[in-house]
Amino acid sequence: MLSGSSVSTFEHGRRLVSLGVGERGVVVRVLRDNPARAERLKALGVTPGARVRLLQRFPGFVFECDQTELAVEPSVARAILIEELG
Amino acid sequence: MSCHIAAERAAAPPVLRLRARPLKVVLVGNPNVGKSVIFGRLTGRYATVSNYPGTTVGITTGRAMVGAEVCDVIDSPGVNALEGVLSEDEHVTRRLLANREADLVIQVADARNLRRALMLTAQAAAFSLPMVLVLNMVDEARRRGVEVDAARLSSELGIPVVETVAIEGQGLNELKEALPAAAPARIPFVPNGDYSAWAHETASRLRRSRPSSIGRFQEFLGRAVRQPATGLPILAVVLYVIYLFVGVFGAQTLVRLIEHGVFQAYINPAATALADRFIPFAAVRDFLVGPYGLITMGLTYAMAIVLPVVATFFLIFGWLEDSGYIPRLAIFSDRIFRMMGLNGKAVLPMVLGLGCDTMATMTTRILGTPKERLIAVLLLALGIPCSAQLATILGILGGISFAALLTLFGVVVLQIFFVGFLAAQLLPGERSDFIMELPPLRLPGMRNLMHKTLLRIRWYLWEAVPLFLIGTALLFVLDKTGLLRWVVAGGRPVVTGLLGLPAETAQVFVMGFLRRDYGAAGLFQLSHAGQLSATQAVVALTVMTLFVPCVANFLMIIREQGLKAALAILVFVTTVALSTGAGLHYAFRILGVDF
Repeated sequence: MLSGSSVSTFEHGRRLVSLGVGERGVVVRVLRDNPARAERLKALGVTPGARVRLLQRFPGFVFECDQTELAVEPSVARAILIEELG
Repeated sequence: MSCHIAAERAAAPPVLRLRARPLKVVLVGNPNVGKSVIFGRLTGRYATVSNYPGTTVGITTGRAMVGAEVCDVIDSPGVNALEGVLSEDEHVTRRLLANREADLVIQVADARNLRRALMLTAQAAAFSLPMVLVLNMVDEARRRGVEVDAARLSSELGIPVVETVAIEGQGLNELKEALPAAAPARIPFVPNGDYSAWAHETASRLRRSRPSSIGRFQEFLGRAVRQPATGLPILAVVLYVIYLFVGVFGAQTLVRLIEHGVFQAYINPAATALADRFIPFAAVRDFLVGPYGLITMGLTYAMAIVLPVVATFFLIFGWLEDSGYIPRLAIFSDRIFRMMGLNGKAVLPMVLGLGCDTMATMTTRILGTPKERLIAVLLLALGIPCSAQLATILGILGGISFAALLTLFGVVVLQIFFVGFLAAQLLPGERSDFIMELPPLRLPGMRNLMHKTLLRIRWYLWEAVPLFLIGTALLFVLDKTGLLRWVVAGGRPVVTGLLGLPAETAQVFVMGFLRRDYGAAGLFQLSHAGQLSATQAVVALTVMTLFVPCVANFLMIIREQGLKAALAILVFVTTVALSTGAGLHYAFRILGVDF
């Protein structure tokens, strides 16, 4: 299981912010440095295991999570840790 | 459509039975899943339906018959969570459940988004109320290749699960039949209260999705409107079409038709003739058909000058709302709003404000923090002209020049930005991160559009016309008692000295305090009578645009932000309005501007 102490393990991992347009991934976890943000992402379905696909990077990040299309600012995209899918 | 009731529950005693008061049924669900459509189908009452999250901010109630039983149905604002960090409207819904204001919960879910729905099911189940789960929009889900095993879902949760296409009325009878079988949902206990893993596992197990090719066009369109290279030109075209439809067709063609063709040609002469003939008292005659007459002024303004624009605006605005286009503007505006202490989500109340600032003030509840809500309320009060006011602006300045129009909007936009920037620095508190759900793009249904537009026009007539008439009566009394001369004389230093306007404008500003559009309608007449020069019209309209919108809006600000904040906003906004007008007047004079 992932615990709070494993932050460093993932700091070098992939994040949503580093995906290219059209690339897919699976959410591994959401950083909890800003709990309100993490809660809101969870409520919108951005939780471990959810599949994401990046649709756009500029002027804001737009991605698909499951069947939900979400627009977020860059700092939010940085807080979403993912594992890349082919 | 099918309804699945777990066998063991079907045998349980029915929830519905004869009781002293109607059974209270509350509709709960994620935003934009169709709660208001189901509400309308159940009760026959219309709750505003749009294609973006946050349309329902308060609660709406209506009556429905289920079998022989009368139910009170409550439509609640959409929620993403009922526990943890909640927005204002999520608190509204939570209170409904927590305070036992409901006997039964109908959770409405978007069939495509089972995982998110289940997280909410788990949180709603904690209130131990009997529940029914509705999987709505199963048609869209199927087109996207998503199928949910409703029967197994029902037996696992221990509650009825009904599949619907509410907009077409499919599955509604099944829903009514399922209500008696409602039961508290059975959710496995999770120690830390985090149900996301359970929801993910359950949804993955009970949902089959196969790749689908349909939706390609939607995807293409979605990409076109959100990418700057194509999205900004599309925005420009959209704005231009709105201008053509509202500013030219509504504010010029229709206004001319109704004002000259109906009011000046028939109604006003007829009313005057009737009054002359049957009313022996000059004062009463004047009250009805004089220069400040209820019919000749109040009714003419409301019906001939403002109504055509409001109607055309509501129509095109409703179409945009239902298409799902408006939330996508948040992507472009996020960076700008962040400089004003807000985030892209604020585009919703701001654009809604173009329809009606009062309603938009209520919509600020969807914003994340108290600071954001205060800034949004302030900016709405300061600079966002509502449709009725846009009407008169377009009517007056459209007749002068495009440069005049650009000057006014340029000054107002700069002022919004400037005040927003300052407020972001000076007010305490934080802004929240920009995280926004984009609803699917859809071709708006004509029935909902017509229904919504007619209701909004009716609302305008009920809300604005009485104020126009009260305002007219007030002006009449001021005029007859000689007080109007005092007001005009008292306002002279400001109106004539500071703003360089004719003294009569003072009375128009008095009207503007009641409703900005009513005041602007007064300016419309002054300018038609040739009493305002082009530059004066721009100055007067800018000041009017920056005033607090209307009495109703002010009351709403008190409701949302408290009396103290509301008074502070009123004083601040009036100061900004007058000083901006003065600045503009002197700038025009020094630069020798004329339109």
